[in-house]
Amino acid sequence: MRISKLFTWLPGLLVLAAVLATAVPPGRIRGFDMDAFGRTPVLEGGRIKPLDSVARNALLMIRSKQGVPFEGRELGPDEWILDVLFRPEAADAQPVFVINDPDVLGLMGLKQSANRYFSFATIEPHLQEIASQARAAEGLESVQRSRFQNAVVNLFQRLVLYNQLENSVQLADSPGLYAELQALGTPEAVQRQKNLADTARFRILPPLPGQSGDAWQNTGEALLAAGSSAPQPALISLALVSAGYKAAQPEAFNRGVAELQGLTANIRPQALRHANSEILFNRIQPFYLGMVIYVLALLTLFGSWLWRRDLLQPAAFSILAAGALVHTTGLVSRIILQGRPPVTNLYSSAVFVGWAAVILGIILERMYRKGFGTAVAASAGFASLIVAHHLAMEGDTMEMMRAVLDSNFWLATHVVSVTIGYSATFLAGIIAIAYTLRKHIAPELDPATTRTLVDMTYGIVCFALLFSFVGTVLGGIWADQSWGRFWGWDPKENGALLIVLWNAIILHCRWGDYIREKGLMACAIFGNIITSLSWFGVNMLGIGLHSYGFMDQAFWALAWFIASQAVLIGLCLMPRRFWAPRTN
Amino acid sequence: LIRRFASRCWSALASLQVTIVALILLMALVVLCTLAQTELGTLGAVNTYMRSMVVWRRLQGIPFPMPLFPGGALVGLVLVANLTAALIRRFEFNPRKFGLWVVHAGLILLVAGEFATGAFQVDTRMSINVGETVNYLESYHQMELAVSDVTDPAHTEEYGIPDSKLKAGAAISLPGTPLTLKVKRFYLNAELAPRADGDPPSMADRGVGAGVKVTEAAPAASDKEVNATSAFVEPVAGGRSYGTWLVSTMLGAPQTFIHEGRTYLLSMRARRYYLPYTVTLKQFSHDSYAGTDIPKNFSSLVHLSNPARGEERDVLIYMNQPLRYDGKAFYQASYGKGDTLSILQVVSNPGWLLPYLSCALITLGLLIHFGITLFNAIKRRQVAEGAA
Repeated sequence: MRISKLFTWLPGLLVLAAVLATAVPPGRIRGFDMDAFGRTPVLEGGRIKPLDSVARNALLMIRSKQGVPFEGRELGPDEWILDVLFRPEAADAQPVFVINDPDVLGLMGLKQSANRYFSFATIEPHLQEIASQARAAEGLESVQRSRFQNAVVNLFQRLVLYNQLENSVQLADSPGLYAELQALGTPEAVQRQKNLADTARFRILPPLPGQSGDAWQNTGEALLAAGSSAPQPALISLALVSAGYKAAQPEAFNRGVAELQGLTANIRPQALRHANSEILFNRIQPFYLGMVIYVLALLTLFGSWLWRRDLLQPAAFSILAAGALVHTTGLVSRIILQGRPPVTNLYSSAVFVGWAAVILGIILERMYRKGFGTAVAASAGFASLIVAHHLAMEGDTMEMMRAVLDSNFWLATHVVSVTIGYSATFLAGIIAIAYTLRKHIAPELDPATTRTLVDMTYGIVCFALLFSFVGTVLGGIWADQSWGRFWGWDPKENGALLIVLWNAIILHCRWGDYIREKGLMACAIFGNIITSLSWFGVNMLGIGLHSYGFMDQAFWALAWFIASQAVLIGLCLMPRRFWAPRTN
Repeated sequence: LIRRFASRCWSALASLQVTIVALILLMALVVLCTLAQTELGTLGAVNTYMRSMVVWRRLQGIPFPMPLFPGGALVGLVLVANLTAALIRRFEFNPRKFGLWVVHAGLILLVAGEFATGAFQVDTRMSINVGETVNYLESYHQMELAVSDVTDPAHTEEYGIPDSKLKAGAAISLPGTPLTLKVKRFYLNAELAPRADGDPPSMADRGVGAGVKVTEAAPAASDKEVNATSAFVEPVAGGRSYGTWLVSTMLGAPQTFIHEGRTYLLSMRARRYYLPYTVTLKQFSHDSYAGTDIPKNFSSLVHLSNPARGEERDVLIYMNQPLRYDGKAFYQASYGKGDTLSILQVVSNPGWLLPYLSCALITLGLLIHFGITLFNAIKRRQVAEGAA
């Protein structure tokens, strides 16, 4: 008994051990302590973060991945940012720009092929053309642009970002920071320093003793401030880092990095501590791992329907639990790092929707123990983390909150309730999908299990109505407090209202006995369409007070999702195995 | 027979089918209203779909608009009637249903609140420069032609003519003055440009208007646009004409004429509503996150002075923290002129408390309902355990 119990939890524990293994810091590469350099705290986008985060977010935006395969090996984000900062000629040769649009490729005289990644050096001769096309398109509202125009604007923005990064510590076409320090006080130097101060993407020099916490400087500003007098010590350390990396002298580089960190530790110890925590979060990538673990749980569960159900079903549950633990840890880390409630933007709403659905699914599984809870939770977790993964391409996911949103109380109450409402509506929809697939695929239908699925869906719809209603009303109160009206028929408000109305319709139809098993399930799948529209669709209208996260490419993904749900509704309403030849 | 008919109507009114149909119609309206916002702007879409009894639409080939869909107000009324009827019909002292009864009573109040908002809410704004004292609110959408007697700089008499009264051919006499204004041409929205050589002569023969070309424009559709309301007017007093003037919200330069020693200023501006108290902007603060343009906070420190009530106090208005005074709420909405101008949105909505009451009722109802459900579940379990 005890051994079988242990065996039940073993797969989950193994998964957790594998997750912990990713937290081990990477070793030095060619003798350079790149990890230490990645820990350097900088100020970017209004918050302190490690340089590693800047590199990862930039790579996600430019390349849609956090690494660059080059010359037979994978460059990590820290190595890439070092090349960008200090060896721009090397970075320019690395294929980092992902370009999918055939017309944009055509603009550069390139054909669409299996290779979608291009180096800056390849693009450079066409910069003028890209810039003029992008400027022409930028005058239009995002919704009015053609596919090509959106793609060219997007490429141009990534080129601008790349250019800012290359000119963040020293000018890309200059001999380096040392030469800049030696030239202090000369007239040409001042112009270069001003250029540097203007283009820099981040501020790497911590405030001097006695300055306010916000007084971080980029190297251009620090050089200007130094004038012809002695530069601040951090600049000299940074010059050592630059020269050491360029000249392939790991000792000099490592010494420079250590000096820089020592200085920061003296002046801003909390910035360094924060950077170190965030590095750990970056390295583990809990949401990416969570996605992988959920797939594993799902596969194990599918296996259980074919072989040794008694063994594999609990194993799948334990893997799911491990995934939920990693997911939860990631969520909690974000809350701590950001000092905010869990949902602050579209990205975090995806992470949270998945999390709440997984937790609800786990509760269902503990209540009914049929394996369906596991299946539903794992698919919900996987699907939402995939969505989150794609949303992360938009930049720093821990961006600062605009003034009107800067209220932890309302973020914690209104936003969390509404998001739980989304989760629950989706979960009901996923259970209904499971019901539909089972109806057509399973060789035999056990009426008790069918009854369980119907009960689960009904219960979850009640839960969804409660949370989406409470969340919507709390949103109204917040709006009354900050904008002066309880309800303004803003697109996002309307979206939330649609979810409330739909769930209310389902329940009233059920109570009036206008729908039974099949109708309830079809309605629950339709809930997926409503929720996806109110979650993402309203952002695509590009209007209203809530359109903070406008997305270009997501439109087709959403259209496909809706089409798939419509097909599933059709399947749900068709008689069991309607395609099979009648034997009777 | 009549009684039977009445009772059938009554049960139809209270029926669940009506609820469901109304809810589905409401969903459709919400979708239509949301989609229409890209074209009509929020206010236009809400007025067309939500605050109307019937959604009218002009169809090709038919000269008059056709009723296309029941409007939000109609559906809302049906829903309220249906809910009320159901509440009365099904009301019973059954503790198991009492919670849900309270929830639905709260819902009626919520819809009533939206009706009150639609009917009574007035949105205005107050723009104040730092150090300035202001005693009026400005309309967002309505304009007025103001004629001010500025003879005595210490005391200005103003006469505002709302844009709804400005129609070509109208002659408006200003009470208390010898003046009559003849409206020669009125544009709700117009484009103004300097008059080129080939352009026909301007209607205006006085003031800056003589050198301006005015072209009629379609009324502003989206929420971001503002009408450039303009008019050609001719002041007449004592049988004497003072020429034709162009007044427009786009013209900043003061235009004055003198009649019998009194100087009158003509201007087209946002409609003003005067208050019996004054607001002075002492300080405006606006911070961004370091190194970005992302706004971190805005706040206005104002001084409120109401001699009639003997009130003199400072108030800090900031995000999520409005000033509620005199039945109005003052919100920090915007800013400008390098952080020396603060724009407050001023909302007066006598029904603002209704949603709060409704929320309280609904919360109470849900608590009662779930409390009773939980209590019963525990009791059942105890009974089951006792039996086992």
